Amino acid sequence: MGPGLYVHLPWCVRKCRYCDFHSHAWRDQDLTRTVDALLCEAERRAGGMRPKTVFVGGGTPTLLPAPELRRLLDGLDAVTSFRASAVEVTCEANPESFDDVRAEALRAGGVDRISLGVQSLDDATLARWDRVHDADAARAAFRRAREHGFVRVNVDLIFGWPGHDAEAWRTELEEVLGWEPEHVSCYELMVEPDTALGRAARRGRFAPADDRHRRRLFDLTREVCAAHGFGGYEVSAFARAGEACAHNLNYWRSGEWVGLGVGATSRSELELRTNLTDPAAWTEAALATGDPVGEVERPDPRTRLFDRFLMGLRLPEEGVDLARARDATGLDPERVFGDAWRTLLDDGRLERAAPDRIRVGEEGLRHLDTVLLELLPDETRVHEV
Amino acid sequence: MTKTFPPERIRNFCIIAHIDHGKSTLADRFLELTGAVEPRRAQEQMLDSMDLERERGITIKAAGVSLTAEVDGEEYLLNLIDTPGHVDFAYEVEKSLQACEGALLLIDAAQGIQAQTVANAHLALDHDLTVIPVFNKVDLPHARPEEIAEELENTLLLERERALRCSAKTGEGVREVLEAVVREIPPPQGDPDAPLRALVFDARYDEFRGVILYLRVVEGTLRKGDQVRLLGVGATYETLELGKSTPEPTPVERLSAGEVGYFVSNIKTLEDVRVGDTLALAKGAEVEPLPGYRDPQPMVWCGLYPVNPGDFEDLRAALNALKLNDSSLVFEPETSDALGFGFRCGFLGLLHMEIVQERLERESDLDIVQTAPSVPYEILFSDGTTRIIHRPGDLPDPNFFEEIREPVVRAHVLVPTESIGAIMKLCSERRGRFLRQEHLSSHRVMLTWDLPLAEVIYDFYDKLKSATRGYGTMNFEEPRFEAADLVKLRILVGGKEADALSCICHRDAAQRRGRAVLKKLKKEIPRHQFEVALQAAVGGKIVARENIRALGKNVTAKCYGGDITRKRKLLAKQKEGKKRMKSIGNVEVPQKAFLAVLSTEE
Ligand SMILES: Nc1nc2c(ncn2[C@@H]2O[C@H](COP(=O)(O)OP(=O)(O)OP(=O)(O)O)[C@@H](O)[C@H]2O)c(=O)[nH]1
Ligand code: SF4
Ligand SMILES: [Mg+2]
Repeated sequence: MGPGLYVHLPWCVRKCRYCDFHSHAWRDQDLTRTVDALLCEAERRAGGMRPKTVFVGGGTPTLLPAPELRRLLDGLDAVTSFRASAVEVTCEANPESFDDVRAEALRAGGVDRISLGVQSLDDATLARWDRVHDADAARAAFRRAREHGFVRVNVDLIFGWPGHDAEAWRTELEEVLGWEPEHVSCYELMVEPDTALGRAARRGRFAPADDRHRRRLFDLTREVCAAHGFGGYEVSAFARAGEACAHNLNYWRSGEWVGLGVGATSRSELELRTNLTDPAAWTEAALATGDPVGEVERPDPRTRLFDRFLMGLRLPEEGVDLARARDATGLDPERVFGDAWRTLLDDGRLERAAPDRIRVGEEGLRHLDTVLLELLPDETRVHEV
Repeated sequence: MTKTFPPERIRNFCIIAHIDHGKSTLADRFLELTGAVEPRRAQEQMLDSMDLERERGITIKAAGVSLTAEVDGEEYLLNLIDTPGHVDFAYEVEKSLQACEGALLLIDAAQGIQAQTVANAHLALDHDLTVIPVFNKVDLPHARPEEIAEELENTLLLERERALRCSAKTGEGVREVLEAVVREIPPPQGDPDAPLRALVFDARYDEFRGVILYLRVVEGTLRKGDQVRLLGVGATYETLELGKSTPEPTPVERLSAGEVGYFVSNIKTLEDVRVGDTLALAKGAEVEPLPGYRDPQPMVWCGLYPVNPGDFEDLRAALNALKLNDSSLVFEPETSDALGFGFRCGFLGLLHMEIVQERLERESDLDIVQTAPSVPYEILFSDGTTRIIHRPGDLPDPNFFEEIREPVVRAHVLVPTESIGAIMKLCSERRGRFLRQEHLSSHRVMLTWDLPLAEVIYDFYDKLKSATRGYGTMNFEEPRFEAADLVKLRILVGGKEADALSCICHRDAAQRRGRAVLKKLKKEIPRHQFEVALQAAVGGKIVARENIRALGKNVTAKCYGGDITRKRKLLAKQKEGKKRMKSIGNVEVPQKAFLAVLSTEE
């Protein structure tokens, strides 16, 4: 899989309560300037790149007015020639702003796949999370994507909040699958520390759902999706045959990519670099030098090997390619992981998908964090940021 | 202060009281009033010089200081000792009393007479000291000196007319207290020309000068350069330096009968000396040793283990360092199946234990697991011999001994009358034996019970405080051993016995105790990928069981290109946390769980 190109737009109408992306409520910041800055960065960091996949994410890219979306895509193509090189060009869209003009601009600009932030079909739940749309807007947005000729559409959903009833979830999920998207991403609600939800949890005002219940919903999700012909090729990603998201697969396979925009990460085999995370600082730096770098990490080979498992074990079918891991790091996973490796294989949490491929078993998938914890080499230091 | 004072111009006194009644604060006022420290250089509780004393606002070690004051036109030398109020450090008070002719008995005018007030007053009277009662904190709006005067008469048989009133905070009445010290406390007796006898009433370790002894010269005169002998330990030393704390150490040429001061020689460690020993001249007439003190016996024991097994030697070094200036701390190596190599440590009480642990963590930067505290037990064997054990694991098989005896203390509990019922219930639940009830005033009483010490260290204070809405206080006397029907309660985690969690308890309480421990463990042990069985057993019989159900799932929903570093760091942090746990079989047990044996949650 060739290099991926990720483009990040940091603005949203409002910040959702669970969200810990690099996204900020838009308060009339100059969107033209954001696009200018992205194009500056693209020119410097992605010039002549010819990406295999493109993903425009956020934030809410569709917050940009149609002409700016168009200017962004044209500008990116001028620098990277993605329209000629890419096999998949995704743009995230939120129901409240994915209107006909924007849909048209995206289509004309070279986007061939839409990832729609639906999250829930329960209006009360959407409101509780400070989402700015209701379920009908989401239904309409999905239809609109089809009307504008997007033949590949993903729908994002969230399950597992306290009180999320299994039958209610099944109904939501089945309705969405009934729209016949090519792909659904079903995320269990995660309570991240740096979010409104996380703060509420710390103050004791929010208690996550019981983990047995969340497991029931997780199992149900895989079962319902499978019954509708959607394979769970990643922890939270389900796709019809041939419809897996190539851009994201490149992350999970530890490929290389360039990330543009606020807080975006780029990876080459030896380096992980992250852009400045403050929108104003990033804009300044991008406009001034085209290189708004924040932090650069050059992980040692053991860490890189671990990272390959951290990402690759998320793929319960294909798993981690050991030959590739050895080539890339010069290390033999079996040797590096030692006892933990053998224990995990013995108890079935890890299994061989092929002679040179390791993946998680059914139980291992549900306890992936524990599996990773056991694989984590002791020397991995905690570096405070 | 190189000036010398004849004995009739010297007063040796200490300040005694219940905890927090204002002893150290009153000492501050004395220091200011007599010009020993300039007010602008003063800190609060000047004599609390250890970091820990300053942070916690309590006195742990008695501290002496010499002051001069003019009273009735004459200049006097006043040797003052500020003492700790907490029961764990009662032996510090006892030491101080022997160096004094009088004591200021401080009573918080709002709180009134409390358990340590009674205990310390009795100690002072037993030592034939002149006791001057002082009501402190009269500035408080809810001060009730009249009522307290009544308590004073009823409980301590001290006439209310003798009581002084002051505020150590505002300084009101402090001068009068100082004058009373001069007028009422007798000067030290003792002939400065008799053969030297000096009492070692305290000893401290100083990094630069080695051990410093604090002396009260009872008879005779000690001069710089004298060869002296410690009669008890039988060692001879040269008097390199003599001095007085004013509070700055101030060298003097000699100390005569009645005087208090410090002594420096080349004494390496506190092990080489004994507080309570008598110091005499190496040459000259044989003298009788002074009465001295008993060594305090450690009554609370617990295991301390390094989290990282490699830190064992560092922990030993850290304990040795603490022992340099805390001779009441005792320890010996021990091993535990669950915790590996560590030390069994003995303390004067729970506060002492807490303080030692805090100092270890602060001063040595080691991660330490502490096991639940327990008391010593005396085992009587069939052949009539006895042995003291201080860890549950050492309890022999019941077939091999006749009797097991536990320490029982006589406890004096001071409570408001409305809490009598609650306290009676608490004490009888704790296997207590009621002795008597005395009225301090119309609404306060002193209850005297014999209580097993094991029950006292097992959250008795918390229960006492909550049963009396904070008003109850308690003191207890030196324990004695009494036979009891005790058994070893074993705890099994995932089928494996966790020796560090087992405890000795009364047969009738074993089941209740077992349930409580398991409940607590269930709360503290994180869920594993498998189910974890918890069991409590007496002998081979399971008396309680619990299950920690398996973790349902544990997988991060989202992980894309930008999340790698963060996710990896998060895992590394969790791994660090895991490293701080101890494993029993394949179950990871956090440090806190090893204190679960203390739990009384039902
Ligand atoms: N209002 C008021 N507060 C006082 C007075 N004397 C002491 N205090 C306060 O009471 C608290 C305890 O004072 P300390 O002098 O540390 O008491 P202590 O008796 O030395 O305590 P221990 O050494 O721990 O037994 C402190 O907060 C003082 O500020 C007083 O006369 N009036
Ligand atoms: S719309 Fe998406 S990116 Fe924006 S705040 Fe909500 S969840 Fe976050
Ligand atoms: Mg004090």
